Amino acid sequence: MRDKILYGLGAFAILILINDIVHIMGLPDEVNQGAIFKIIFFHVPVAITALTAAAVALIASVLFLVTKNFVYDALAVAVTEVGLAFLAANLVTGSLWGRVIWGVYWAWDARLTSALVCWLLYAGYLMLRHAIEEPTQRATFAAVFSIFAFIDVPIVIFSIKWWRTQHPQPVFWGGGSFPSAWLPYFLWNLVAMLLIGTIFTMTRLRQEESQRELDYLRRLAHSM
Amino acid sequence: MNLITSFALLLQPSVEDILLEKQRLQHNYEFLSYGLIAAWLILVVYVLMMVSREQKLKKEIAGLRAMLEEKH
Repeated sequence: MRDKILYGLGAFAILILINDIVHIMGLPDEVNQGAIFKIIFFHVPVAITALTAAAVALIASVLFLVTKNFVYDALAVAVTEVGLAFLAANLVTGSLWGRVIWGVYWAWDARLTSALVCWLLYAGYLMLRHAIEEPTQRATFAAVFSIFAFIDVPIVIFSIKWWRTQHPQPVFWGGGSFPSAWLPYFLWNLVAMLLIGTIFTMTRLRQEESQRELDYLRRLAHSM
Repeated sequence: MNLITSFALLLQPSVEDILLEKQRLQHNYEFLSYGLIAAWLILVVYVLMMVSREQKLKKEIAGLRAMLEEKH
């Protein structure tokens, strides 16, 4: 049943993306930036998906610390790993966009730096998990680390409001202009990215369940 | 009339301007495609990593189950 839901969601996401890509390529170039502006249709949705994943990881980590239920720990690691992949896609698309508009791949401004720090923090979270063998200790330390790592997320979001940055002001909530006719394509792309993120998380969550089963079988084999 | 035509011709973009604009547009498209390819490549690599991990887990679980059944 779960497999069927995953395949269904995947097919739906792919259909949305194909339809969107065809329409986006047909849109006229933006007046000031030209064709490269169309990267916004991927750059922002992958960022929103990554930061949503970080928020889910925070909630799952808090729930693990409160309930000590390992399902929440599995959810936290699954969603963090998926968020990391999306944040990497966001950093790479942003860097290529910057190369065309600013003439450089990278600028050490508040937005870019805090996003990179965010990526490094969550990569550190995954490394921390590999370093601790005992499951309860690993889950507890990882949950605490995840809660602290989330402090960087509001900094990433609001950095362009709090400081003067090379990165432009927010297009959607900071006075930027985005053609209203383009908005549906952007929103559908966002839905597709969130769906892909959900599918990845569910798949990764199933792997965590398999890992627990494997650990149990290993203990059983060891005790025999 | 001749003066107006000459003035209008002066206002028209030169061949160099058109070539520069063409170059800028090509450059833009090039980087747009790099960006999209890179973003999808990251996600595809992640999917491949998940597939390989899934296969490894299934293989290990099947091996351990077979071993436990043999011991029984």
